[in-house]
Amino acid sequence: MGAISQSDMNLVGSHCGVSIGEDGPSQMGLEDLALFRAVPTATVFYPSDAVSTERAVELAANTKGICYIRTSRPETAIIYDSDTVFKVGEAKIVRESAQDKVLLIGAGITLHEALAAADDLQKKGVSARVLDPFTVKPLDERAVREHARAAGGRVVVVEDHYQAGGLGEAVLSALAAERDVVVRHLCVRSVPRSGAPAQLVDAFGLSARHVAAAAQELLQL
Amino acid sequence: MKGDKNVNIQALKDMANKLRIDSIVATNASKSGHPTSCASMAEIMSVLFFHTMRYKISAPRDPSSDRFILSKGHAAPILYAAWAEAGLFPVEDLKNLRKFESDLEGHPTPRLSFIDVGTGSLGQGLAVAAGMAYVGKYFDQTPYRVYCLVGDGEAAEGSIWEALHFASHYKLDNLVVIFDVNRLGQSEPTSLQHQMDVYDARLKAFGFHSLVVDGHDVSELIKAFDEAATVTGKPTAVIAKTYKGKGFPNIEDKENWHGKALGAEGEKIIKHLQAQITDGGVSLSARAPTADAPRVHLRDVTLSAPPAYERAQRVATRLAYGTALRKLADTNMRVIALDGDTKNSTFSDKLRNAYPERYVECFIAEQTLVGVAMGAACRQRAIVFASTFAAFFTRTFDQVTSSTSSTSTTSPTSPT
Ligand SMILES: Cc1ncc(C[n+]2csc(CCOP(=O)(O)OP(=O)(O)O)c2C)c(N)n1
Repeated sequence: MGAISQSDMNLVGSHCGVSIGEDGPSQMGLEDLALFRAVPTATVFYPSDAVSTERAVELAANTKGICYIRTSRPETAIIYDSDTVFKVGEAKIVRESAQDKVLLIGAGITLHEALAAADDLQKKGVSARVLDPFTVKPLDERAVREHARAAGGRVVVVEDHYQAGGLGEAVLSALAAERDVVVRHLCVRSVPRSGAPAQLVDAFGLSARHVAAAAQELLQL
Repeated sequence: MKGDKNVNIQALKDMANKLRIDSIVATNASKSGHPTSCASMAEIMSVLFFHTMRYKISAPRDPSSDRFILSKGHAAPILYAAWAEAGLFPVEDLKNLRKFESDLEGHPTPRLSFIDVGTGSLGQGLAVAAGMAYVGKYFDQTPYRVYCLVGDGEAAEGSIWEALHFASHYKLDNLVVIFDVNRLGQSEPTSLQHQMDVYDARLKAFGFHSLVVDGHDVSELIKAFDEAATVTGKPTAVIAKTYKGKGFPNIEDKENWHGKALGAEGEKIIKHLQAQITDGGVSLSARAPTADAPRVHLRDVTLSAPPAYERAQRVATRLAYGTALRKLADTNMRVIALDGDTKNSTFSDKLRNAYPERYVECFIAEQTLVGVAMGAACRQRAIVFASTFAAFFTRTFDQVTSSTSSTSTTSPTSPT
């Protein structure tokens, strides 16, 4: 049998998004998800903590075709237990209750903003579910749809990436045929500038308060 | 063969003309393609495939074999012809060029059992070849050699010069770059036309052992490739002075024939070429590799230890990447890392600090970074991780898209 595999290459892009801070827009990866999502044979990992990043690297080494791993510059909290098992195309629900009224989706630094927003919302009496996609391609579309429905059809997706072609549009595609689901997409909508990371994340509309506000708006609809 | 007095020069000349005829027949059958781009490299292909290169028809992508990368992918018909004449599939199949039912596509893709990477977007082949040569020299340490054919028009691509820089820095003396200097590009002559001295000076300045040859002289080509095999510490550039459409009367060296099948002209030209074949009965075949590449195991790679973090810790995911990379490298000797001078930001330096010989610095040349990564991963030789800032992969998008064509095949020319 002459079945011979095609080159399996793993590319790893660090310093994604405005959260790199002071270096300014020339150093910020803001189109990389669009670029790699456009490639039919690609797998795109966007891990949100150190545990899932290590597993993403291990999975990439064993995955056929081209793999892209998007990493972030800021230090972020550990979300997962060390023995958590990750799979390509399998999202994780990092927070949920039976009363959830809105689904928040984030990755990398924005998953942490989504978790902080969920805390804020809880104080105001609103339960939010939080989903970590782990891979943006393939996106766990089944989980996105199921949890969007479970959270009353309200979804906020937030990403440190330009509007086109990233996590937000992947989520929107997954929900395109769902009746009674509304989505707010928070992303970088203009060319950023230098500044402190947290300042930029807030100024470009990705911080917890923006996520919480978007969720509140959906609840008003 | 070096020092071999019994080389059948006439048979190699005849083979060059057979390859020309095959290229005309195939492009006429598909009413499209680039026969004149094939004609300029016919002697180069004849000498490489029927004299110089060591490979196996029974296993076209055998890791022990010499590699050939056609960077000017539009000359696919003559590459297909060489493999057909060498016996991989019937010469008759060449008439299926560019047909939906055939894998003999307009430009080479790895759907074919004898193609490692897709080419056709010009400027990309040399970095891939350099990646293969790096693995051959430093990891496999096996005497297979890597040949890459670059068009002269294509040589205006910056990515070619990035790759030349890489190849000479790493002393890839198992790599031979052949420049097919046929003077013409697609819509007009190339910037340098036949200024062979300028090419020679540039290649020497880039640290190559550089040779200017008559690219239509079989004996000179044999000598050049033999000489290349004796050079140590430097890659070789064979700068071949050629003519586009060589051997096609009234077309040779003329503008406006790029990317055109010869149509009705073709029959006359085929007769003209056939008349020059004096020894049609001689059969030439591939020489076998001299040594086996080591067997490597690339499956089921695991971290040497599970992630170990406390909930209270704050850790950047880029740092966790470096930690995981090093842990993977602990368990598999073929895990390698490449970076474009950002290793202390991406944290790929964690692998380098532990296993310096498995880290490949590609310097600030991201197209080469990705091309070398592609080449290093070919033929199941290594598990390759290439890192830089996410923003800088943008300029490698062309390389990324070229790496994606199809997966595997069981037959040399048809979809499976
Ligand atoms: C990146 C890129 N730009 C443009 C083209 C279109 N194109 C195909 S062949 C060609 C001319 C190539 O000239 P050269 O490298 O000298 O090869 P020749 O056909 O003359 O042997 C051009 C412009 C391409 N395939 N890739």
